[in-house]
Amino acid sequence: MIRESQGFQPFTDEPIRLIGDGGEWLGPFELDLEPEKLKGFYLDMLAGRLIDDRLGRLQRQGKTSFVAPSAGHEAAQVGLAHAVRKGHDWVFPYYRDVSLLLALGMPVVEFAGQSLGTMADTARGRQMPYHPGSAELNVFTVASPIASHVPPAVGTALAMKLAGRSQVTVCSFGDGATSEGDWHAGVNLAGAQGAPIVFACQNNGYAISVDLKKQTGSDTIAVKAHAYGMPGYLVDGMDVLASFLVAREAIERAREGVGPSIVEFVVYRYGGHSSADDDSRYRARQEVELWRRRDPLDRYRRFLERRGLWDEDAEQRARAEIDAQLVEGIRQAQEAGTVPLEWMFEDVYAQMPERLVRQREELLG
Amino acid sequence: MTSTQAVRERQSGVKTMAQAIAATLDQEMARDDRVVVIGEDVGKRGGVFLATDKLFDKYGPDRVIDSPLSEAAIIGAALGMAVYGLRPVAEIQFADYVFPGFDQLVSQVAKIRYRSGGAFTAPLVVRMPAGGGVRGGHHHSQNPDTHFVHTAGLKVVYPSTPSDSAGLLRSAIRDEDPVIVMEPKRLYRSVKEAVPEGDHAVEIGKAAVRREGDDVVLVSYGGSMAETLKAADALTEQGIGAHVLDLRSLQPWDETAVLEAVARVGRVVLVSESPRSAGFMAEVSATISEEVMDSLLAPPLRVTGFDTPYPYVQDREYLPSPNRILKAVERALTY
Repeated sequence: MIRESQGFQPFTDEPIRLIGDGGEWLGPFELDLEPEKLKGFYLDMLAGRLIDDRLGRLQRQGKTSFVAPSAGHEAAQVGLAHAVRKGHDWVFPYYRDVSLLLALGMPVVEFAGQSLGTMADTARGRQMPYHPGSAELNVFTVASPIASHVPPAVGTALAMKLAGRSQVTVCSFGDGATSEGDWHAGVNLAGAQGAPIVFACQNNGYAISVDLKKQTGSDTIAVKAHAYGMPGYLVDGMDVLASFLVAREAIERAREGVGPSIVEFVVYRYGGHSSADDDSRYRARQEVELWRRRDPLDRYRRFLERRGLWDEDAEQRARAEIDAQLVEGIRQAQEAGTVPLEWMFEDVYAQMPERLVRQREELLG
Repeated sequence: MTSTQAVRERQSGVKTMAQAIAATLDQEMARDDRVVVIGEDVGKRGGVFLATDKLFDKYGPDRVIDSPLSEAAIIGAALGMAVYGLRPVAEIQFADYVFPGFDQLVSQVAKIRYRSGGAFTAPLVVRMPAGGGVRGGHHHSQNPDTHFVHTAGLKVVYPSTPSDSAGLLRSAIRDEDPVIVMEPKRLYRSVKEAVPEGDHAVEIGKAAVRREGDDVVLVSYGGSMAETLKAADALTEQGIGAHVLDLRSLQPWDETAVLEAVARVGRVVLVSESPRSAGFMAEVSATISEEVMDSLLAPPLRVTGFDTPYPYVQDREYLPSPNRILKAVERALTY
């Protein structure tokens, strides 16, 4: 499975896994990461887990219209975020990437502000919840049409090649996205051009209700990479260290000019597709329970405990601290105030055309 | 043409539309190294209509990108490059093939400024040869301008002369918003004129007066300008003065020029080769009715393509002909 610490094998039959069920280290090489870094992964996963709960409450209170929880995906997203050079590389997320975005450094008030559509939303209240972006962090604004961000992501990677700034683009999506024409268009272009990009698929086995067998005849998503002339890595996406190390290798490979790759993170979403979904119509409860036993946070906590880096005390303190930060960020987002009505007409063009000026008058009277 | 003539024309800046486009791309790429070209066959081949002729030799494969055969990849990649800070000019080989990239235009290109609250913008150009008259049937002749005009966030220009092709393309490349440049392919090589050198730019959203007259206003754009001007010349011979406006831009379009002319003259015929139903001229007609109803001496009349797929054998008959335009003028004058 693994040759050495730098050199994961693509196209493995089983997902690359470095932490066992009991938290034991499985890697055939010494892990060379500082304790603070190791604990950082856990704290970021915890934040992702807890914000789902906080924003879910707001949704049930009718204060936001939509939540797309990342519970079950945290390890893949946090591993990926830590493999990126923050604010230097570009990231094209999809709507379930809340753990990724927080781990990249998006302030809670910004994420919550976007969901609430208040003045705390840097995108000025234009999109439905769980669709943020950040020019500061080079995070492209999330779009709902599945895989429509894949060709633009490749475009930034082509531009980077021209700019020669040793940057990489990471493009994140789910398993359903790989069926779209735009996904093929983008991955194919990246392969043909050798673009510095990593395609990060979080395969949770379902596109809303349609399972992977109905999505593709391929055994894995990773294997598709072969046809595009790039390596495809199959990773246990509920193992944060495997996710981080494989993602880092794929990203650095792109940075060195070797070329693009696909990393498939095998994950499971605990909740429905979104707050508008009822997953009991298509998934057996036993299946959900089976996956919960492989929980990325529990498993990694056992890893930290075995190394003497974590205990119940640390757990309680971390949960309380993170939750307090979330509550404070959400409070600030709520109190930021509503966006003005006339903003509806702005940012359509650089300068507002005459027609829109008149339509704005029509509405405002 | 003798070779001496050809040399003289080149030196005096006389160009076909395709030559004017290639020259403008060359000048803009030389002026601004953020300008890149991407499309099918735009490299060594220089584009199937030679609109990117010689750019590959001069600027190399990183700035003149031969893309895979995928309009979604071309337009999507152009958006990514624009968001990053480049000024891409994408070529769609025929407007008829834009539809696989239509989602990129509608969902991403048109909306990125709005949905990111201005954090990301798309200063890019998508050029596409459009329209009929080349015996290409429905998959080489359509005129999908209305789709783009209907999509908030896009600008749309449609020149009819070599000079305007150069001037509007230059404005489009320097614009902060995405601009669709539709090029009437049947005029690519049929018209030649002296194209101003240097920084010649045509403002987006401004119509041009092609003929002065007091009896009827003819409004058109793109390929149909040729037939509209023929009709105007025939009217002149009959002693009827046609005021001819070439819209040049469809989004935004020059309402002031149209409404002032129609208010003064009272009769207007709107000519476009796009299908009639909900076509661009329906918007112009509705605006005229809303704004200058009191000045009208006859209803605004449309001469357009038909509500059929673009035919093959009846290639010329589908297009608004000078005769059909003259019939509409007669109806307007005798209303």
